[in-house]
Amino acid sequence: MRRWHVVYFFAGLLICTATTPVVAYLKFGAAANGRTVALRWAQLPVRYFVTDRGVPGVSTVQLQNAIDRAFRTWQDLPSSAVTYQFVGFTRAEPFDDDGIVTLGFQDRPELEGVLGSTGFVIDTFTGAIVEADILFNSAFPWSVSAAGEPGQFDLQSIALHEVGHLSGLGHSLLGETELTSGRRRVIATESVMFPIAFSPGSIEGRTLRADDIAGISDLYPDGNFLARTGSISGRVTKNDRGVFGAHVVAFNTRTGALVGGFSLTSSGDFAIAGLDSGPTLLRVEPLDDAAVDSFFDESPPVDAAFGVTYFERLTIVPGGGSTNPVEIRVRSQ
Amino acid sequence: MVGLRAGSLALALFFSVTSQTHATVFAPADLTQLVLAARAIVHGRIVDLRPQLTDDHRRVDTLVTIDVATYLKGDLGSMVTFRVPGGELGRYRTVVLDAPHFGVGEEVVLLLSARGPSIPYVLGLTQGVFRVAPDPVTGERRVTPAPLVREGADWRPVVRGDPARQSPLLTDFARQVQSILGAQR
Repeated sequence: MRRWHVVYFFAGLLICTATTPVVAYLKFGAAANGRTVALRWAQLPVRYFVTDRGVPGVSTVQLQNAIDRAFRTWQDLPSSAVTYQFVGFTRAEPFDDDGIVTLGFQDRPELEGVLGSTGFVIDTFTGAIVEADILFNSAFPWSVSAAGEPGQFDLQSIALHEVGHLSGLGHSLLGETELTSGRRRVIATESVMFPIAFSPGSIEGRTLRADDIAGISDLYPDGNFLARTGSISGRVTKNDRGVFGAHVVAFNTRTGALVGGFSLTSSGDFAIAGLDSGPTLLRVEPLDDAAVDSFFDESPPVDAAFGVTYFERLTIVPGGGSTNPVEIRVRSQ
Repeated sequence: MVGLRAGSLALALFFSVTSQTHATVFAPADLTQLVLAARAIVHGRIVDLRPQLTDDHRRVDTLVTIDVATYLKGDLGSMVTFRVPGGELGRYRTVVLDAPHFGVGEEVVLLLSARGPSIPYVLGLTQGVFRVAPDPVTGERRVTPAPLVREGADWRPVVRGDPARQSPLLTDFARQVQSILGAQR
């Protein structure tokens, strides 16, 4: 059997559009009839149902309200055209292959340690999304309190992350954690698509960041987003060979915005779009503290054996355009 | 929670040699938690992948079979079949984000769990999967990702690109697991 073919979109796109890179963060792609297409909703609004079942501390209506706030947070961005519509409550279950978009609580033992999860059914002939579902793991304690509640995970924050997936965004690496004996926790993130949740009680995951906004606006551009923002492209190399899977972060020194992307071909090509214009610093770091499966599907092996590297000069991102390609050389560890 | 906040966050994140990662939205776990939670920890090669409708015909799962070389914890027999969510049947492909992907012939260490007599599953989706591959220089078999584990009581940042945290040799990884289990006894 073939492995999943949800490959990330850029590899093909980079090859096909060498002069017009339009990618950043991770967008999902699907292999369909021998080609790779971006996984995005062709018809808007995305119509969704919510299960008519709450959990202790969260009623059905509270569940729907929290989900609604998450959808609205994405929808209200002026630079994105994505829209969503709540259709009603349902007795259908998330992850059932039934052709409707369903969000709700579910107890799935094999998803131990997973707060929320998103799934798609994809037509392999066309690459179209047939349906997508989101489940929230009812094994965890949940809160819908405006200020959060100690010891309980914030439902709106987790919904915001999962709706990002449902809309076509993959994970971001813009975050930081720390360890103590037997425990790990998030210190801070610069994207709601960072894959580890804040600690129970926190509501910090309710706010979209520059990386999220660039991602969703790149998928569903609106307003003057494409004219206002620019992109950086180039290669990450080590010993004159391309590096696959290097995390490239663009930091705008004027606005402070951080947007991340990855080198996505065996030649080390990367392209980060949706960037504010202005002077930008580039940093490359290895994907060495995570499950690669969370970021890439079928791919060359990820090279994580190098040290953190900064590009030697500031790059000026033009509004509505792209920089000349840069080469960032990293060194073996 | 350690206080990187607001305006200083972007700069702090960018210039500190730190960062981290994982899958969908996880409640974070380290190797100790995962090892203790696993019913079995198995090292071997994937020999079969079989997508199928679940018993209630509501969704697609894939049954994955591993030919066991060694157990680091527990014993489920010489061949173990476990379930991962998603799979491709006919024209349609069901994809569960962060479900682990396997290929026939792949060498892995898996942390498996199960509830009751049901088919085992990988603990925490991708969190319970460690790939084994030869070191490109020495040829020795190494485990990726490098497991995150900390002994002390204080909090230490997970530093991306930290040369001290390289993918361990398979033998060292096995020792690390045994050490965790030994400390629990």
